[in-house]
Amino acid sequence: MSFASARSRDRGFRVLVVVGLILFVVWSAAPILWLIVSSLMQQQALIVQPPDFSLGNFTLENFTEVIVSAAALGRGILNSFIVALFSTAVALVIGAPAAYALARLAVPRANALAFLVLATQMLPGIAIAIPLFLVISRLGLIDNVLALGLVYLSFNLPIVIWILRGFFLAIPEGIEKAAAVDGAGVVGTFLHIVLPISIPPLGAAAVFAFVEAWNEFFFALILTRQDAQTVPLVIAQFAGQYQTLFGQMMAAAAISIAPVIALAIIFRNQIVRGFADGMMKG
Amino acid sequence: MSQIELRHVDKSFGAVGVCHDINLTVEEGEFVTLLGSSGCGKTTTLNMVAGLEDPSKGDILIGGRRVNDLSPVQRDVAMVFQNYALYPHMTVAENLGFTLKMRKMAKPQIAERVAAVAASLELTPLLERLPSALSGGQQQRVAIGRALVREPRVFLFDEPFSNLDASLRVKMRAEVKQLHQQLGVTTLFVTHDQEEAMSISDRIAVLNRGKVEQFGTPEEIYSRPATRYVARFIGNPQIDLVPGELEPGADGAVLRLAGVALTLPDFVPPPGAGPAVEVGVRPEHVRLTEAGIPAKVQLVQPVGAATHVVLGWEGGDLIASVPGFVHLSVGAAIHFEIDPRHVLVFDAQSGDRLM
Ligand SMILES: Nc1ncnc2c1ncn2[C@@H]1O[C@H](COP(=O)(O)OP(=O)(O)OP(=O)(O)O)[C@@H](O)[C@H]1O
Ligand SMILES: [Mg+2]
Repeated sequence: MSFASARSRDRGFRVLVVVGLILFVVWSAAPILWLIVSSLMQQQALIVQPPDFSLGNFTLENFTEVIVSAAALGRGILNSFIVALFSTAVALVIGAPAAYALARLAVPRANALAFLVLATQMLPGIAIAIPLFLVISRLGLIDNVLALGLVYLSFNLPIVIWILRGFFLAIPEGIEKAAAVDGAGVVGTFLHIVLPISIPPLGAAAVFAFVEAWNEFFFALILTRQDAQTVPLVIAQFAGQYQTLFGQMMAAAAISIAPVIALAIIFRNQIVRGFADGMMKG
Repeated sequence: MSQIELRHVDKSFGAVGVCHDINLTVEEGEFVTLLGSSGCGKTTTLNMVAGLEDPSKGDILIGGRRVNDLSPVQRDVAMVFQNYALYPHMTVAENLGFTLKMRKMAKPQIAERVAAVAASLELTPLLERLPSALSGGQQQRVAIGRALVREPRVFLFDEPFSNLDASLRVKMRAEVKQLHQQLGVTTLFVTHDQEEAMSISDRIAVLNRGKVEQFGTPEEIYSRPATRYVARFIGNPQIDLVPGELEPGADGAVLRLAGVALTLPDFVPPPGAGPAVEVGVRPEHVRLTEAGIPAKVQLVQPVGAATHVVLGWEGGDLIASVPGFVHLSVGAAIHFEIDPRHVLVFDAQSGDRLM
């Protein structure tokens, strides 16, 4: 094979990759784009078939309506922040050492244990909904933000443990052996060596856990009434019994995804920097 | 007191035996090298001394005290790892100072020690860099510096020069040997490079598949190898080995090699030995002569200080190492002699040296 044909094959491959990426972006961005467009349109223009996209039908009314009329949205966002932050932060604080122990310490049957941790995630939500509801309501914690946070913590912890354990297993053991010879005990090695080089996976696990909690609908629905309602529930309320206010619903949704997107961007930078710091070489 | 002693040490990973009955003593202040081919258990042995692996059987003593149950910190060893194992998120200065920080030394003293070690290893301009921004040779010097920054009871080196280019390797060898002469710290060094082992060690332990094949000074290992394996492993060019037969003679024994009879005076073969043997001769003991055993020149390889001449002979191919340059044409008829005083005789079956 000549260099020229190798290069043209290379180019063909690049084109394929780019086309694939474009398709992927369209696939994931189209719903969001549609959400933003429809949040900016008047109800009448939106529900005719086909939607009337003439410029006169665009408006910021939906946003002002939502912000002014629905104090519920503000409270929902606050509640979502509390449960997502709590369940993410605590899952990392507990999950990282647990994952390290399962990856490196002489834990008997570590593999089986790790699998058991993951297995808790395989139960369909509906199967634990009723017992969970009973427990929470007997404790008198229905419609309590922290109770919802604890429930989310129980969902996030196994995921965080599983993600981080996989990463810890992949750290070359030589680095930890060097730390042992240098005089760092298990805790010292974990704090000074393992955690700092694990910023990228910690960030990934954090984003994953946060978004899971932020978007969760089903358990929020059965465990809250009003005060502890999270964003997805508030948005759902725009679907009324007689009429669905699509524009306002989309505006509320647009507002609710903004923090998640912002978070993802912030963490993306951190993850990239973490990798650039030379995880791989050295 | 920092003598290292391994007593009947076995190590297996699951069902796979890696080290078998290793007995080894590194005297106080001595420089001992574990030499062996890849996968023979050198790193595993070193890890057991450091406390990074537990022996399956046997005892490890440092300074006369059994340390099997002590952690690496308690053993007070410093180690240079085969793959460097630098901390990727720390600068060179932080890498060097980490062990002192873990030992709760005050910051100004740490800075002082780090600066001194960096200067001696020519790392001063690199102190603020991350390992990923260093060349292989620079990373290796940081790995060595990390061990030198404190004064441990024992130094352990695991193939510290394997990734360096030839000239840097020779330079680092000399530096480490000099350093050892200055500090006199008991050292266990690992390499698969026989020349490196010869040039740096007080004594060498040749490992073969997890067994110590021979433990002795470089001279003993080279001139009186205990087994055929050791004879083959040591020396460049490799020792010449040809099959032969051993017969009792009038006084001593007679060695028959493809029609040539060598008398070995005063040599009485042990009972049960031979008659099939393998005969080893170092290439520098094969002399090209006017008259002698006839052979043909097959290949001429000048290496500067010597020329290696490959001889085709009915007993097998031999390499002769001749000082300086010789001018021989390939295919030319030639004669050679073997000095019986330098002949090594190995049992063809067991490979043990008979003479
Ligand atoms: N953790 C382990 N589990 C299973 N087998 C292992 C383990 N560590 C080492 N081994 C095996 O033990 C043998 C010796 O390994 P070791 O690393 O001690 O070799 P080495 O002499 O240092 O080789 P090299 O020169 O390539 O570094 C090898 O066959 C290796 O596959
Ligand atoms: Mg090794």
